[in-house]
Amino acid sequence: MMTDGLAPQTWLHRVPAGVKLAALALLSVLLVPVLDWRILAGVLAIIAMVYAGFGRVGMTRLSLLRPVLPLLVIVGGVQAASGGWNSGAVVTMRLLAMLLLADVVSMTTTMSALMEVLTPVLRLLRPLGVNPRKMALAVALVLRLVPVLLTQWRAREEAWKARSGRRVPPRLVAVFVADILQLADHVAEALDARGFDRSAADHHSSPL
Amino acid sequence: MLRLMNGLHLPTRGRVAVAGLDTVRNRKDLPAKVGFLFQNPDHQLIFPTVVEEVAFGPAERGVSAPKAHQQAMALLERQGCAQWADRNVNELSGGQKQLICILALLAMEPSILLMDEPFASLDLPTRLVLYRRIMALPQRVVMASHDFELLAEFDRIIWLDAGHVRLDGRPAEVLPAYRAHAMIVGVGDALA
Repeated sequence: MMTDGLAPQTWLHRVPAGVKLAALALLSVLLVPVLDWRILAGVLAIIAMVYAGFGRVGMTRLSLLRPVLPLLVIVGGVQAASGGWNSGAVVTMRLLAMLLLADVVSMTTTMSALMEVLTPVLRLLRPLGVNPRKMALAVALVLRLVPVLLTQWRAREEAWKARSGRRVPPRLVAVFVADILQLADHVAEALDARGFDRSAADHHSSPL
Repeated sequence: MLRLMNGLHLPTRGRVAVAGLDTVRNRKDLPAKVGFLFQNPDHQLIFPTVVEEVAFGPAERGVSAPKAHQQAMALLERQGCAQWADRNVNELSGGQKQLICILALLAMEPSILLMDEPFASLDLPTRLVLYRRIMALPQRVVMASHDFELLAEFDRIIWLDAGHVRLDGRPAEVLPAYRAHAMIVGVGDALA
């Protein structure tokens, strides 16, 4: 009902966003020269423990990443074909580790905290015509709507399977694109209704 | 009709005035005065976390970011939802999302709230909880709904059919008339 099913706050939620981003960057750089799959397996095991520490929420979060698995398999497959099994495994595991680390950061950090860290960077880009406020809104919308779209895709998939009993055909993608456009329309209307001022967004940058 | 009242649709003929504001001339001032609750909260929630969502309205009106955050926290606290502040909105249930949408509107301190079938996808207990909260609001509420039981407590019901006002009055007059009409149409199998 109104109070069920909320994830507990973890220690990672309390770590400052800047520290988490720096750690993410550092770890990602450190992972690049690693060529031994056993070390990467260890890293993945540690990350898996972090996810397990989040309990049910961590597991749901992991299941949300399922759509990227085919991509990982393709990348690993191509690498394995050209450079042998070891290199295929290393590339796949490294990518997966980076992806999961990034996901942990985004799971435990609020958008505003992230944007606060990024604001100085965005300010530097201002002379190039980058509007920090619009950027913040764009980032927020992406983070917010990706899970919504995943749910929507799953609903389409279910409806197809329930009525045909067969695998999902590629043409369902067209329907999904229509869904995306419709969602964009709805969100634009909602922004309008909430008084988001496009012209003001070009002039001042109050929320940052 | 709700979209006309909020300035999302503009009248092609005549004029629409809400809370003393003309929807064409004062369109920019409308969102602060007239809150709009959409049928699907996923279309309305813009930010990943609850407190950011609630702070958006005031920040949009020029309140500084820390102040908007503070106001949002205070509002969540008053409504007994402070523990949700840093939650990801994707974690919330349908009813919780809808409640956050309402709080995000209240943060703008509107005088009128427009609601488009706000209970459409909620279970009955959640519906009742939300309904009680909405009825306790000091704001005037204009709601599009087919929910008979809940409509009975409103002051005024306008029955719209194919763009025309069929009946306009107290629930005791309008609801029985609508029910009778529905029975006749229902027997006639008008869907086909």
